[in-house]
Amino acid sequence: MSEITIPLCLLGLLFLLLGSGIWVAFSLLGVGIIGMMVFTDAPVGNVLATTVWGASNSWALAALPLFIWMGEILFRSKLSENMFEGLAPWLTHLPGRLLHVNIFGCGIFAAVSGSSAATAATIGKMSIPELTQRGYPEKMILGTLAGSATLGLLIPPSIILIVYGVATEQSIARLFIAGLLPGVLLVTLFVGYVIIWSLLNKEQIPMEENNLSFMEKVRGTKRLIPVILLIGGVLGSIYTGIASPTDAAAVGVVLALLLSRATGSLCKETFIEGLLGATRTSCMIAFILAGAAFLTVAMGFTGIPKSLATWIGTMDLSPYALLGALTIFFVVLGCFLDGISVVVLTTSVIMPMVQAAGIDPLWFGIFVVIVVEMSQITPPVGFNLFVIQGLTGINILRVAHAALPFFLLLLTALAIITVVPEVVTLLPNMMGS
Amino acid sequence: MIRNTLDSLYKGAGWLAALFLSAICLLVVCQVVFNVVDRLSTLITGTAIGLTIPSYSDFTGFFLAAASFLALTYTMRSGHHIRVTLIRSNLPHWMQEILEGWCLLFASATSAYFTYYTANLVYESYIYHDLSSGMIAIPIWIPQASMLIGLALLTISLSDDLLCHICGKPVSYNKNLEEFAQSINE
Amino acid sequence: TSWDMPTPYPDATFHTQNIALFAEDVKKATDGKLVIKLHTAGSLFKHPEIKNAVRGGQVPIGEFFMSLLGNENPIFAADSQPFLATNYDDAKKLWNAQKPIVAKLLDKQGLMPLFSVAWPPQGLYTQKAINRVGDIKGIKFRTYNATSEKLANKLGAAPTQVEVPDIPQAFSTGRVAAMITSPSTGANSKAWDFVEDFTDIQAWLPKNIVVINKRAFRRLDKETQTALLQAGAKAELRGWEMSKKETETKIQVMKDNGMNIIQPSPELMSGFKVIGNEIVTEWEKEAGPAGTELLSTYRK
Ligand code: NA
Ligand code: NA
Repeated sequence: MSEITIPLCLLGLLFLLLGSGIWVAFSLLGVGIIGMMVFTDAPVGNVLATTVWGASNSWALAALPLFIWMGEILFRSKLSENMFEGLAPWLTHLPGRLLHVNIFGCGIFAAVSGSSAATAATIGKMSIPELTQRGYPEKMILGTLAGSATLGLLIPPSIILIVYGVATEQSIARLFIAGLLPGVLLVTLFVGYVIIWSLLNKEQIPMEENNLSFMEKVRGTKRLIPVILLIGGVLGSIYTGIASPTDAAAVGVVLALLLSRATGSLCKETFIEGLLGATRTSCMIAFILAGAAFLTVAMGFTGIPKSLATWIGTMDLSPYALLGALTIFFVVLGCFLDGISVVVLTTSVIMPMVQAAGIDPLWFGIFVVIVVEMSQITPPVGFNLFVIQGLTGINILRVAHAALPFFLLLLTALAIITVVPEVVTLLPNMMGS
Repeated sequence: MIRNTLDSLYKGAGWLAALFLSAICLLVVCQVVFNVVDRLSTLITGTAIGLTIPSYSDFTGFFLAAASFLALTYTMRSGHHIRVTLIRSNLPHWMQEILEGWCLLFASATSAYFTYYTANLVYESYIYHDLSSGMIAIPIWIPQASMLIGLALLTISLSDDLLCHICGKPVSYNKNLEEFAQSINE
Repeated sequence: TSWDMPTPYPDATFHTQNIALFAEDVKKATDGKLVIKLHTAGSLFKHPEIKNAVRGGQVPIGEFFMSLLGNENPIFAADSQPFLATNYDDAKKLWNAQKPIVAKLLDKQGLMPLFSVAWPPQGLYTQKAINRVGDIKGIKFRTYNATSEKLANKLGAAPTQVEVPDIPQAFSTGRVAAMITSPSTGANSKAWDFVEDFTDIQAWLPKNIVVINKRAFRRLDKETQTALLQAGAKAELRGWEMSKKETETKIQVMKDNGMNIIQPSPELMSGFKVIGNEIVTEWEKEAGPAGTELLSTYRK
């Protein structure tokens, strides 16, 4: 039964450390160190230094601070303000109005960035102040942002699909294409939820001015041009092969600088403020990532994730029951490990089970991504929560509460792709023949 | 005197981190510009030139590590490392003070432990002449030193704050975080 | 005793499967006195960290791609020199010549080699047919270390750095148009999604190596040590056979998925051999007396 008691002890310890107010990164490091000291005889300190170094000097990770920097530049420019001004007249009749900017903004930005933290940081930096100032309810601002930012992992490019593809020898190109329709499905679910919520809570959604004629609206849309140029430029650089998805982040920074220069909102002070802001935010995230990487390795040494997965394997479940059990397993692990770590730690045990049950590994990749997305918004360890607390100073538990409906929507999406697997497999199968 | 030296040390590392972050951007942009030139040359002459920055992915990774670790202290002192304060804020003042001491003690101890073993890692890389595996062979202790410096500074800063807390003086991060909160509300 | 063993490649890779069998053998031969727990696909330590983790005693045993250490000493990269050893027999001979020197170099770091298994011969993946060396001139060629960069330059190709996970995207967007890698990597990354032709040039057979921390080894009793060494020797033999079978199956997989499997023209091969000789001569100069010794043993 130690499969259950040890993780529970460690989870309890994590809650204790976090609850007493210790910084998130130090809590993760602490649990890793204590867990390894108690349950293994490996040289803890040396493993700590090696792991953190290995996890910190990664080329693929470099996109994260660059996207964060891009968000800081845009936040200080008139670009974000212009975007909202340009979109507002068109969204007046849609229940929920500018809240949808969070969803579509994240959806579009997800096509540029491979991680949900970068998506949350970039879109949030612009949208939170604007929406708050316009009087939208805090709970919905935070919820739509935390929820939609998870699209960063599902809509290609995606760091986690690359990790999964490499670990399971699935074609990354096919995985990327498979993520498209489920991404659209999620956007639809999120938009639908915001519409229904807004119809039920009409008084909480502020009015947007709507005495403009159609031509005036079109003229106002001119304000969107810089943003469209920016997104077009970044996407263009990827799909013309000039930049790899990681390089594209730097293209984004340069374009953001040029555009805010052109609109006259870039000066020495804003440049330095933006750079320092990006340095702080990316350092905060990098330190937590380092802590998470070490906790992952510590767990690897204790062998807990593997024995848990093996334990599920011994139960001899039907495919649906297996998927249900794995969902619970991933959600529980996702509470205190970063989603990518969960995939890395458990694929070698889970994949044989999944394939034995006759589940398509390509489909399962998308299933895993959606579960990992859910883990991004569950406390205590949820990277979207951390990013949003970093942006707003609002406590992660409050953010997590606001994101709860979106957690449930992700769960719904899981159910839909399980019942209708074609949502995932349709596009890659068309590509195959 | 000591106060000033320490403060400028913390700040200097923060600036250095920002410099490394811009260096990442610069490096990647150079590579992208090279790609564009190559693309144009293929269009015009039919052959690509093959302009690359050797080991640019290694350098980006090393710069990223430097930016992350050197910024640790600056980020800590400006109150941007996040923590859960919800439960604590409902406790009486004296208990909050004790908890703050515990947090600082735990963080300083962990940080010191981490620093010690990082020093060990850098030392091993140095005596074994470990090299990076890319096109340009870089002695790995050089980029690793940024991790050591960053963590050592963090340990000093946390002990600094712990000392301040014990002496009843305000800690750096709360003061700065209040300023940050004000700037947001403005 | 229980040993944690990090390996860099996924479970489906034949190297990993061979190591899993090796772990079983060890367990059986020692009656469970020594159990090796595998941590595959870089799940414990990332690939660049594995060697140092074994050296520092963080784990007693580990596997890595040997020429990853080529910058530390060119001897480690002997098996990645283009057109030096181009079939399994030659590769085996090369390993026999390389092994004593590698063992000596690893010994300085407190490590000992247990066994080493070759990857299938490296082939050329292109989007259009390559008949002579001149056809590669001016096209974007994937490089990932100093040797591949040198090769690209000598071929007159345009070197482009592409990381492994980025390969499909780089091909489909035209950032790269040719690469040299094994049939395993080609089949596993579904190369038919982005290239047409596989030319079986058998450029070189790089190896993975399994190393042990000597202190950890000494702590085992004599019987366990012997059992471990025997299981290692058995794994080496089995691994090379698995590698041969892997070559056949993976080339067949690519064929079945519509890729053109092309036997290189004599003209192409002679062009490659010339370039290969130049590179090996340069390598010998870099590697010093040990390099000369290795080559003369190999060519005997
Ligand atoms: Na994405
Ligand atoms: Na979570």
